[in-house]
Order: sequence, then C-alpha cells, then structure tokens
Amino acid sequence: MGKFVQLVVDGLSTGSVYGAIALAIVLVNQATGLINFAQGGMAVLSTYVAWWLTTHDVPLILAILVSILFSLALGAVVERWLMRRFERGDPDTAVVVTIGLLTLITGICGWLFTYNNQQFPSLFSLDTVSFLGVSISIRSIGTTVVIVVAMLLLQGLFVGTKLGLALRAVAINPQSAAFSGLPVGRLLMVGWGLAAALGAVAGALVAPQLTLTPGMLDSTLVYALAAVILGGLTSPIGVVVAAWIIGILENLAAVYVPFIGFDLKVAVPFILIFVVLIVRPQGLFGRKVVVRV
Amino acid sequence: MATPSTSTASSVWQRPWVRWAGPLLLVVVLAVMPLVLSEFANQTIARIGVYAVAVLGLNVVMGYTGQVSLGQIFFLGFGAYVTAYGVSNDWNIVLVFALACLAPAVAGLLVALAAARLGGLAIAMVTVALPIVGVPLAKRLSDFTGGSQGMSARFAEAPEGSGLYDDQWQLYIVLIIAGVVFLLTRNLVRGKYGRAFAIVKGNENVASSMGISPYRYKVLAFTIASLIGGVSGFLYMLVIQYTSPETMTFGHSISLLAAMVIGGAGSIVGSILGGAYYVLVPQLTNEVDPSLTALLQGALLLAVLFVLPGGLVSLPRALTRGRRPRAGRGSAAPPTTPSSTTGSGTAAEEPETERQGHA
Amino acid sequence: MNMHLRSRKALGIAVASALAVTMSGCGGDDTGRSGDAAEGAPSPGITDDSITLGITTPLSGATAGPGTCTVAGVTAYFGAKNAAGGVEFGDGKTRTVEIEALDDTYDPQKAKANYDQLKDDVFAMTAGLGTPTNRAWRDAAIADEVPQVLVMTGDPLFSDTAESPWQLGFVPTYLNEGEAFGELLASSSGDHKVAILSQNDDYGEGYVEGFKSAIEGADNIEVVDELTYEATDTSVDAQLTELAASGADVFFNAMSVTPLMISSLQKAQSLGWTPSWFLPSNTSSPGAILEPGGAAAYPGIFSVAFSKAPASPAFAQDPDVVEYLAALKQYGNYPDPPAFPHCQWSWMVGATLEQAFQNMEEPTRDSFMEALRSIEDFEAPLMLPDTAVNTTEEGQPAVSTVVVQKYNGRGYDTVQAFE
Repeated sequence: MGKFVQLVVDGLSTGSVYGAIALAIVLVNQATGLINFAQGGMAVLSTYVAWWLTTHDVPLILAILVSILFSLALGAVVERWLMRRFERGDPDTAVVVTIGLLTLITGICGWLFTYNNQQFPSLFSLDTVSFLGVSISIRSIGTTVVIVVAMLLLQGLFVGTKLGLALRAVAINPQSAAFSGLPVGRLLMVGWGLAAALGAVAGALVAPQLTLTPGMLDSTLVYALAAVILGGLTSPIGVVVAAWIIGILENLAAVYVPFIGFDLKVAVPFILIFVVLIVRPQGLFGRKVVVRV
Repeated sequence: MATPSTSTASSVWQRPWVRWAGPLLLVVVLAVMPLVLSEFANQTIARIGVYAVAVLGLNVVMGYTGQVSLGQIFFLGFGAYVTAYGVSNDWNIVLVFALACLAPAVAGLLVALAAARLGGLAIAMVTVALPIVGVPLAKRLSDFTGGSQGMSARFAEAPEGSGLYDDQWQLYIVLIIAGVVFLLTRNLVRGKYGRAFAIVKGNENVASSMGISPYRYKVLAFTIASLIGGVSGFLYMLVIQYTSPETMTFGHSISLLAAMVIGGAGSIVGSILGGAYYVLVPQLTNEVDPSLTALLQGALLLAVLFVLPGGLVSLPRALTRGRRPRAGRGSAAPPTTPSSTTGSGTAAEEPETERQGHA
Repeated sequence: MNMHLRSRKALGIAVASALAVTMSGCGGDDTGRSGDAAEGAPSPGITDDSITLGITTPLSGATAGPGTCTVAGVTAYFGAKNAAGGVEFGDGKTRTVEIEALDDTYDPQKAKANYDQLKDDVFAMTAGLGTPTNRAWRDAAIADEVPQVLVMTGDPLFSDTAESPWQLGFVPTYLNEGEAFGELLASSSGDHKVAILSQNDDYGEGYVEGFKSAIEGADNIEVVDELTYEATDTSVDAQLTELAASGADVFFNAMSVTPLMISSLQKAQSLGWTPSWFLPSNTSSPGAILEPGGAAAYPGIFSVAFSKAPASPAFAQDPDVVEYLAALKQYGNYPDPPAFPHCQWSWMVGATLEQAFQNMEEPTRDSFMEALRSIEDFEAPLMLPDTAVNTTEEGQPAVSTVVVQKYNGRGYDTVQAFE
C-alpha cells in the first residue's frame, strides 16, 4: 500500500512538470489557435536568462522575475515578427514554423551556454517530509502548488475577465473580433507573451530537478501535448488534471502491469487518449466545437 | 494538363513530341548521372531518394488528404527492420521488398481503421504514439530487431559483370524504385482518388454529402502513406545498410513534417524538394560550422518559410507572380499539382475549427 | 489517355519495378572505390607536412555534452603539439595533425553520411561517440579499409579483431566495468543483496552482463531486484520506490544520464534507503553529481575509473592535469571546466594516436593500423596508476584496465576491497 501511495505521489509530481508546459500550450492555442512546438524551447531560453543572472550573483527570485519579463517580450516579439505572417495561412505551415523556431532557440541556447548540464538553484528547499509513511519532497509540493495557482489564474482569466474573452474571440474568429473593435494584433501579442511567461515559470520550477540543458523540455513536450489533447484544448483545469492522471497512471502501469513495464510505460498516455477520445472526442474537459457547413 | 490558351507559345507545349521530350530528357539524365558523378554525390542523391519517398508518403495523407500524421518515420523504420530481418535470414529479395511494403501497410491500415473515425485530433495523437512507442518496442523485440545495437544488412552490392561500383548500382535501384513510386502516386492523386482526397481535406461534411465517405478515404490515404513509408524503409536499408531504434525517433518524424512543408505540401515535386532539404541541409550546416548546426538549421527553415510560405515548390509561382501584374491567379500558375493554395484558402477561413471540429 | 495506353503503362511500370527489386538483391564482390588504391601508395589524408583525422560525433542534441568533449580533447592535444612543431612520424617526417569534425546529432544515418563525406579526405576516423552511430558505418569502413579507431563506445564488437579488422574501441567495454564491480563485491567477506537499475540499451545491458558474470558462483551475493529505465525518462522515482522496497544493501546503478543520477541519489535517501552505490565512470563526478545528489548520506559510493578527474583536489597540482586544462582552453575551443570525462578520454586518444604515429613506418593506413595495434603498457597522460593503454590484447579495447574507487567526501581513492 505504501508503495502504491508513493507511486501516486511521485506521479503527481512528474505530472505537474507536464502540466506546466501544457498550460502554456493551451494559452497559445486559446489565443491563436496554433499548437506551439517551441513552447518548451522558449521556456528553456527564459530559464537560461535567469540562470545566467544567478551566476552573476543576482538573487534567485529577482532573476526569475527578470526572466519572466524577458519571456513576455520574447513571446510578443515572436508573435509580431514571426508568427503573424503564418497565422492566416495553412495551419501545417504555422506548426512547422514553430518547429523551426524550436530548433533555432535550442541552437542559440547551445551556442551561448553550451550543451553541458547547468545547475539551477531551487526555489524550494531540498528536504522531504514524511507523511503517513510516504516521502514527499518539498520541491514537488511547491511545484504542484504553483502549477495549481497558475491553472486557477488562467481559468479565471479565460472565463471571468474581458481580456480572456477578447483573447478567445480573436482566436475563434479574428475578422469578427476586428469588426467588433478589438485590437487583434495587440491581443495576439499579449496571448503569446503570457504563454511565454508561463513557460518561464515552469522552466524555473523544473530546472533544478532536470538540470538546465538546451533540450531540457524536449521529452516533456510530448507528454504536455498528450495532456493538452486528453484534457481538452480549451480547458486549463482539464489539462493539468490530465497531466496528473498521465503521470500517475504511467507509474502505476509500469509497476503493476508487467507486460508494459518501465520501457513501454510511455504508451500509457496514448492508450488513455485513445480510450477517452472514443467516448468524448473533445477531451475530458473540453467543449464541443460545432462547425457550420 | 496545361491550361488551354490562345497564345501560340502555349500550343507549342501541347505538341506530343515536346510533351515527351521533357520526361525523356529527364530519364536520359538520370541514367547517365550515376556514371558521371562522384561516389559521395551518388550516395547523397540516393539518400535524397529515400527521404523523398518518405515525404511523398507523408504528403499523401497530410498534404493531399489533410490528416495530421506525425508518425511517418515509424513506417520507414518498420520497413527498414523488415528488410534487415529478411536479408539477414537470406530470404528472396523480391519477397523482402514485398513484405517491406505490405507489413507497414497492414500496420497503417489497422491504425487508420481505429483512429480515422475519431477525427483529426485522434489521428494526430495516434500517429505521435507510433514513433514514441515504436522505439522502446524495437528495443524490446531484440530477437527480431537486434535491440538497441541495431542490425546491419549489406545487400545490393553491384554484380560482378556489370562493371558498376556499389554506389552507382544502389543509386540506379533507388532511382528506379522511387521513380515507379512517384509515377504511381502521381497518377493516383491526379485521378478520382486524388479528387476525393482533396474534397475530404477541404470539408468532410461536404464530402459525405457528396457520397464520398471521409472515413474510407482517410483510411485509404493512411494505408497508402504507410505503404510508401515501407518502401522508403527498404530503400533506407539499401543505402544506409544499418538500422537501429534511432532510425524512427519522434524527432525525425517532426523533421519529415518540416521537410514536407518546406518542399511544398500536396505536391509531387515538393516531395522531392523536401527529401533534398532533409538530406542536404544538415550537410550544408556542417560545412559552415559543425558546432552550430541546430542554430543554422532553425534559421534556414524560418528564412525559407518566411520568403516562401508555400514551400520551395512555390518558387516559380512566386517569381512569376512578382513579375506579372495581378491579372488573376489562374493564368500565372500552371495548375500541374493539386496546389497547396487551395488548401490554405479554405484553411484560412476556419483555421481552428478545421482541427477541432472533426468531432 | 485511353484505357489501352493506361494499362500498358501500368504493365511497363510493373515490369520495371520487378526488375529493379530483383537487381537490388543480386550479390556480387565488393568493388568499393576507396579500395582501389595500389599497395604501398600513400593513403588519402596524409601529405609530407600534415595528416588529417576525421570525427563524426553528436555536437547538438541530447548527447552533445559528451560529444563536444570527444572533439575538444583530441583537438586540444594536437593543437598543443602542432604549436610545438608537430608530431614526428615513424617515417622520419614531422607533420601537423588536423582534425575535421562533423555533427551527426546521434543519428546513424547522418553518421554514415558524414563518413561518406570524410573518408576520401581524411587518413583515419577516430573518437566518435555512440554505439549506433559507430555501427552504422562500421561495415562501410571495413569494406573501404578506412581506420575507425579509438572510438568512444564500450561495444565489444569494435575490439574483436576478426570481426572488425579496421576498428578499435578506446574506452573499456561496458562488460569490463561491470566485471570490475562484480569482482570487488564477490571477493568481499559479508553477504550482500544487490538491486540493479540499468539503462535500457546496450550500455546498461553490457554493464549488467559484466557484473553478473563476475558474481556468478559467489554464494554471498544475491540479486534481489532488477529494473530498467529509458534514457529519455524525466524521472526514475517509480523505479527507485520499488527497488527501495527490495531490502538490498548494494545498489548497482548503470545510468549515464546526469540529472537522473542526481535525482536517484536524492530520491533513495528520501525514501530512507541508504545502500552502498556502484556508479559508472561517466556519471560519477563529485562536483557535478555527488554533491548535488547528497552523496554524504550513503555508507559507500564506488565507481570505476582509468583517468584522473581534473576537478578532484588531489590532482589540482598534477602537471598532467595542469597542462591538459590549459590546452583545452587554448586549443580545444572549450573554455569551461570539463563537464564530462570524455574530454579527458579524448585527450588520451590524442596521446595514443601520437604513439601510433611515432611508430608508423609508412604513410599508409595499413602501417598505421599495425603501429596502433602494437602499443603495450603506455601510460597515457591523465591515466591513473595501475591503468595503461594496451592495444595488443585480442578482443579488448585500447583501455581495458580500470580501478575501482571509493568516494571520500571530496574526490575518489582507489580501493582494493569492498569494506
């Protein structure tokens, strides 16, 4: 029983890492209708900025705040000067542009900071607490709490605020949004900037555990995409819950289903998605989208 | 084919011998080329052939039929493993080729049967799963695949009497097999199937109201794409002579997708350009600075798409459009391929719902 | 186009494809162009003043860290030698040594492409990282008679002279390292239960195989649990949870991924499990791994090594180390402190190659391979005492001797016994 609970707790912790990037992807998707393959890469670049500052004796919190500002600017600039050209066109082309952006950002990080594993200081202490026979690291708790806060904020943004509504309007129908007087261009930049800022926070949270390298979030990206699809492209709460489910079920399947084992546990999220999408094509928490012919 | 036009210049192109001269010249060039070029050039062109076929397969399902597939590399890897296994066990080479085509096709068929009903998103995620699960699976089935150490299989050495070097022999075979695949696919997409694919890509509801079952055509497109992927796997083994789980990583799938778009989605010539891009750009960036390959490749990809959002294949169109006044798109561009502009036209109207609305 | 024409075209296509496929299967003698060179003629890549070596290794992507090191070490070694006038060859000429390195992003297809590109311009290929990437062009190198020597993989195939006449591995095979641990443990006095975690590829498999072969027949050693992980995993917490429950007092962790090793060290102690650890040579750095991982909590951390760790305080004043670090910065284009042992190993490759060059009587690849295969008891710079380069042992790579070391809080000491 202890092992089971430990696996669940560890799965929650890993799932939070996936959920962090998934949230950023959802934000961009809500704002611009695109899947941004470079989300993890942009987060890593921002985290490198924070790291570089810490190596020059800037306090950690300040370094992270500066990196968030940097990422806001980065997201806005990328949207305005790169993505804007492709948003109206073929969506496959836009996705490939984000792929190119990922390669470029990874290359820039490798060039500026080398491919070596850099140590990133942890926001939370490295101690663990023992709770009912299960050991949980403070860092996991901290990461999960921050993700939950981000998730709630995002959900509130989309559902409750004018900005969120405007962002969604721009994504669903840019022409009508423009006719209604919304500053479409500026809203798109805001959307991308916020997503990048989310990514910067996520990067700062996970870098202590994963060590900072240009490809730090590459494996996470696939899981984040799985969480996004499982949870529904329109729901921040949904993707985080989906990410947790993926993390937990992966661990449990690896240990309790010998056929799957540790090497094929990566199949678990996809089996899940398949099963869920048969029953609910819009994902666990997404809303059905109706197309008029 | 060519737009009927009153100007005498166009009617020259309609004369039979002129129409045949072009392809004939191409055949002659291709036949002579391997004998004249250096070994490295031949090997590079052979590799381009391998990936051009892989991108062609991806184009069938993604460029022409509009279904997102991020798993094409899985079928290449599957075909390569089948080839390696068959050759290592000294099976008849025709049998090995047939299996390298059929086994991935069957796999693609099964995957499509299950996923096609579920809509675009499900197909996308299932295709993502293919390489991601494929790699550990290849490691686990080490009795068949050689595990993480991979399998070497040298075949296709030039027969003694021919006087050809290995690289020339291999290039000829690649050219012939790739040529056949390209021709067959070209006929497919220009015929009624191609039209059906285009309608399914444009709007599935319209397709079903016309009596074209989107499900059936998606399954067909996916199966054909997997079959072509298997052929590219056979050619991969022919040229590289080694395969391992690294052959079919998710990263390569994404690179194939990028190559398809850069070459030109929904275009036969674009597939060749995509294959060329996939093979030549890493070599090019290595020449410039081997430590900066990622940076240079990313920058190059963005630059190409910025200038030519329709891919490299749209270069002639972009040039002529630049020169002529805007007197209507039809006259400027010879519609030789189901152009990507049609696709992007419809896509522009409903960018997000295209992806989400296939519920 | 009428139906008649179309069906004839289809028939023509079918015939052409059948022909093509059948032709592809026709075997024949290998008539590779590179092998056409006459006996005794100088090989490509060597002139009276210079010799060029080729490297294909990952310089971007997940394995770029060690990959960059494999280039930096040998480039730095020969950069320093060239600045001092060059290397004196066995045929009397003094030559500068140039290195041409290409990035293969750990993709076997690109590695083969790089080899195809380099083989006519370089004298020999060396130092590349990775098993699949080196295997991809091994057959071609044998057919083309191009040396593929001192490569950074522990795959035993490269050291089998019969199978791989033009190859030679540099680093100890994974089996060697696993065996070293196994022997140490088997010769210990108490009873021990061992838990094993290994990377799911030839690296991990080789380690485990070597370890198990060394403890075979030892009654006091029992393997109680054995699990694997993928190199791309973000966390091995689940595996550690299960292994912690096994009650083992020795943990054999064949892991080559730095962040996962750190998190393993942290996780095990947080679960209250404090066994003795065995770590592989490439993930045992005190500064980069043991300290962040909190290694002080464990009774014993053991590793295998054959090279001095430059970061270790014991070697801070060692003349070999000082010279190496300076050259790395100046000639190796590597300004940071070495982050992976591959930097040291690559430096040793340079020294070993120099030995071969000095004994090479003719400027040919055959002569080079002969000279390379006759190096005995060469203590390359940065090698630990009791280890040496020995290329004369059949079936063994250039370095096959490792010593077992124990962490002492700041660095490592060589130990002879487990207790």
